[in-house]
Amino acid sequence: MRYAGIRTMALVRHNAVLMLREPGPLISRLIMPVVLLSVLHPLYAAALSGSSNGTAQAATGMMVMFSMLAVSIVGITILSERLWHTWNRLRATPAHAAEILLAKSVSACGVLLAQQAAVITFAVIVFGLRVPNPALLGAAVLTWCLTLLCCGCLLGTLVRTSGALSAVQDVAGMLFTAVGGALVPLTVLPDWVRDIAPISPGYWGVSMLQAAFRGSIGDAVRDGGVLLGIALVTGVLACRRIVANQTTRG
Amino acid sequence: MLDVIDLHKRFGAVQALNGLTLTVGAGEIVGLIGHNGAGKSTLVEVILGLARADSGTVRLGGTKINRAARVQIGVSPQELALYRSATVREHLRLFGGLAGLRGPVLRCRIDGVIDELALDGVADRQAGLLSGGQQRRAQAACALIGEPALLLLDEPTAGADPSTRQMLLTAVRRRAAAGAAILYTTHYLPELVELGATVAVARAGRVVAHGTRRDLLAGLPGEIRLRFDDGVPDAPPGYAISRHENELRVTAPDPGALLPRLIADLAAGDALPSAVEVRKPDLDDLYRALDATAAVAA
Repeated sequence: MRYAGIRTMALVRHNAVLMLREPGPLISRLIMPVVLLSVLHPLYAAALSGSSNGTAQAATGMMVMFSMLAVSIVGITILSERLWHTWNRLRATPAHAAEILLAKSVSACGVLLAQQAAVITFAVIVFGLRVPNPALLGAAVLTWCLTLLCCGCLLGTLVRTSGALSAVQDVAGMLFTAVGGALVPLTVLPDWVRDIAPISPGYWGVSMLQAAFRGSIGDAVRDGGVLLGIALVTGVLACRRIVANQTTRG
Repeated sequence: MLDVIDLHKRFGAVQALNGLTLTVGAGEIVGLIGHNGAGKSTLVEVILGLARADSGTVRLGGTKINRAARVQIGVSPQELALYRSATVREHLRLFGGLAGLRGPVLRCRIDGVIDELALDGVADRQAGLLSGGQQRRAQAACALIGEPALLLLDEPTAGADPSTRQMLLTAVRRRAAAGAAILYTTHYLPELVELGATVAVARAGRVVAHGTRRDLLAGLPGEIRLRFDDGVPDAPPGYAISRHENELRVTAPDPGALLPRLIADLAAGDALPSAVEVRKPDLDDLYRALDATAAVAA
């Protein structure tokens, strides 16, 4: 157990080093949602009945949209290991697959949490967004980040090249963002989009975060339950992919 | 130390390991040689748990290798496996940590292995910016950092310059002298001579010859090469002779003993060579002989 701790710490530190060595994508993912929030906030406020709703929609929309677009951060950390041939090198050590994944998740989770915190802080300070139950909002953000981490891990184990990762990320990220109502409120979208919206994790993410901003524990728990289910399924699939990823060289 | 017993592994239609058995003792260097596809890399992967054998056993120190036991194994894979944006020192910190090291012990080991493999000047340089030889040394350093009881070195000097090769061979010899068991796969047969390694020859997923270099070469014939600058004469009778451009090559179990009689016979025919070379059999000859045997069997 003691050695597992040493190993995990070594992996966490190493992943953090790798991530910080190329900070450009991280910085853009922190700044872009704040910039877009400040630009689009008046539109959301005008489109929805009250300014408060508009602010919550704008904030949750940016949180969900840019965090979904940040899923590639998780995917690329796994994909890079394969491209650099370091994945098998790690698997040849005493480190358990769970320790390796956990270490990757901690670093990526830090980025996602920082992104969510940046948007919330900005919305609270600049637009006066109210957070009636900070603990509920914190739990909702953690649930959302966990879901994205699991989806990102699965994505990283499925794709073979960085080009494929980028393509899947862009298309799926924008599709789920739009269909889920993160980009434009579902109330102003066509009926058919509203009908298919629940297939998008983004829909449940927006719904849960808005419930958390309202302080509605029941709604947030329901939506969070769905997201945890998605996290469980994608996380298990990712682990299975990793375990099944045996070498085939003769 | 390492006991590999009757390993079988099939990848689809390819039988990568076909009853491979091999032992590497503490302090012993076993050089595993064989053609591409002979099963060398698959053996390393099975030992490391990266591929699961269909049947057979791998034991380290008498017990089956499990995940925890990998702390006793250092590995340098065939292909470079480095994080391009991490420095050499960061690699060593990672793999030292994965070997359970930390604090002053880890720092001491890092400094030691950096010094041993002459990585001082590039220890804080990202791996992607290193030369090929420096990358090879950095990869080997990651294998050595935990002072493992078993070292699996899969073509560790592939593409390395002579000084890098020499440095790596010295490090390997030093580890063996300290009691580590070392399995060393290579295509550079002279390296095994330099290492004083026991030689195991893999073919079609099994070890077809295993022993000291001296034992393995004992049954092989040597060769006398006679060069003639003014035309190659007719070969005297009673010798196993072949012609190669301006040379006659005579194969014999003991070429040194045969040489005086051969020279006398040539002199009798007024055909003295301008140069003579006596070749004792080497690992290349062993390799070729096993090839010929396999071809006949096929």
